[in-house]
Amino acid sequence: MKSSLKNMVLVLLLISTITAFLVALVNDLTKEAIAESITKTKNEAKFAVLSTSASEAYIAADTTRVIGDFNINVSTVARSDDNTIIGYAVEAPSITKNGYADRIVLMVGFKEEGDATVINAVEVLSQKETPGLGANMTKEGNSLERSILGINPAELTFAVTKEGGSFDALTGSTISSRAYANAVETAYAGYLWATGRLNTEAAVETATGSTVQSDSNLL
Amino acid sequence: MSKLQIITKGIIKENPTFSLVLGMCPTIGVTSSAINGMGMGVATMAVLIMSNMAIAMIKNVVPDKVRIPAFIVVIASFVTIIEMLMQAYVPALYASLGVFIPLIVVNCIILGRAEAFASKNSVWDSALDGVGIGLGFTLSLTVIGAVREVLGSGAIFGYTFAEGVMPLLFILAPGGFLVLGYLMVMFNKIAKR
Repeated sequence: MKSSLKNMVLVLLLISTITAFLVALVNDLTKEAIAESITKTKNEAKFAVLSTSASEAYIAADTTRVIGDFNINVSTVARSDDNTIIGYAVEAPSITKNGYADRIVLMVGFKEEGDATVINAVEVLSQKETPGLGANMTKEGNSLERSILGINPAELTFAVTKEGGSFDALTGSTISSRAYANAVETAYAGYLWATGRLNTEAAVETATGSTVQSDSNLL
Repeated sequence: MSKLQIITKGIIKENPTFSLVLGMCPTIGVTSSAINGMGMGVATMAVLIMSNMAIAMIKNVVPDKVRIPAFIVVIASFVTIIEMLMQAYVPALYASLGVFIPLIVVNCIILGRAEAFASKNSVWDSALDGVGIGLGFTLSLTVIGAVREVLGSGAIFGYTFAEGVMPLLFILAPGGFLVLGYLMVMFNKIAKR
């Protein structure tokens, strides 16, 4: 079609209006369903990291702590039949260390066995790492997860092994592994904070830099 | 050109990766494993078929001088709508293909086919062109991904056969360029016969 100023302006205006209307319409239609599916995934992860499911357990309490722009969400998961606390599912981002592409958000399950706390399981909620390298952190039984499962986080050093830490880095993905370690550290700070074992200032300090080693002094 | 030829030319003569050399960014970016390559290919094919049809439908009312911005707006809205629908109603599919969807907006194959084919042909032929080019892209990405996965992580489609002995280089971008280059040479050598 031959171009004239009038038809160019008119057609572009028309196309933008129609497509904008369609995008807005679909956004309106899908907004709720999307939010629902995100919440559902998160809720499933909360139960999964404590090796339970929504049929045998429920979320007894839900607290969110805000550090700067970041949210740390701590959910207390309890057994449905006798209301005993199974453990805490903590959703935490990497704060001081980014992954290769973006922040990493983890769901970490903490269980209390006697006096000791152990990390029960870890699920990756969001990551944009390189497929085949950093993205391997989402695979089951990866070296990062394996190196911290069943261990008391108070005994962990939140760094990769070649920097003297406790996390076995993924092959060729030191940066992603550092971010992962940082997110676990943040989650642990959130857990200590929510269970009243770490005061606010100490938790902020922990999550934004220094290590969590000193927590035993605060008990 | 027969209907079948429209499809087959996308796989061999106008193969988007090895022959037209379009869409190199997602090609290098996502082909670190066979299944990723295939996912990107399938997602692109779905968008390409629909965007080709949409472009062929509006081609007669779009003035020549503003066709590129018009096509881009249509394609981008299209992809956004598909992304939202997928996330809302097929979250499982979105979890595996979702990361590729935003990449498709800027994939020059989509705009390239809109410009080179859909803006000159009928709606039906444009859909077939989308199928052909999409298949060509899917096959190419799957092959590149499979080669890189075998060489780089000792696995194929996620099944590991050699643990921790393979050169990591092939998972990283430089290995991607190497594999792409050699496969391109082989493809053109065979296709020219």
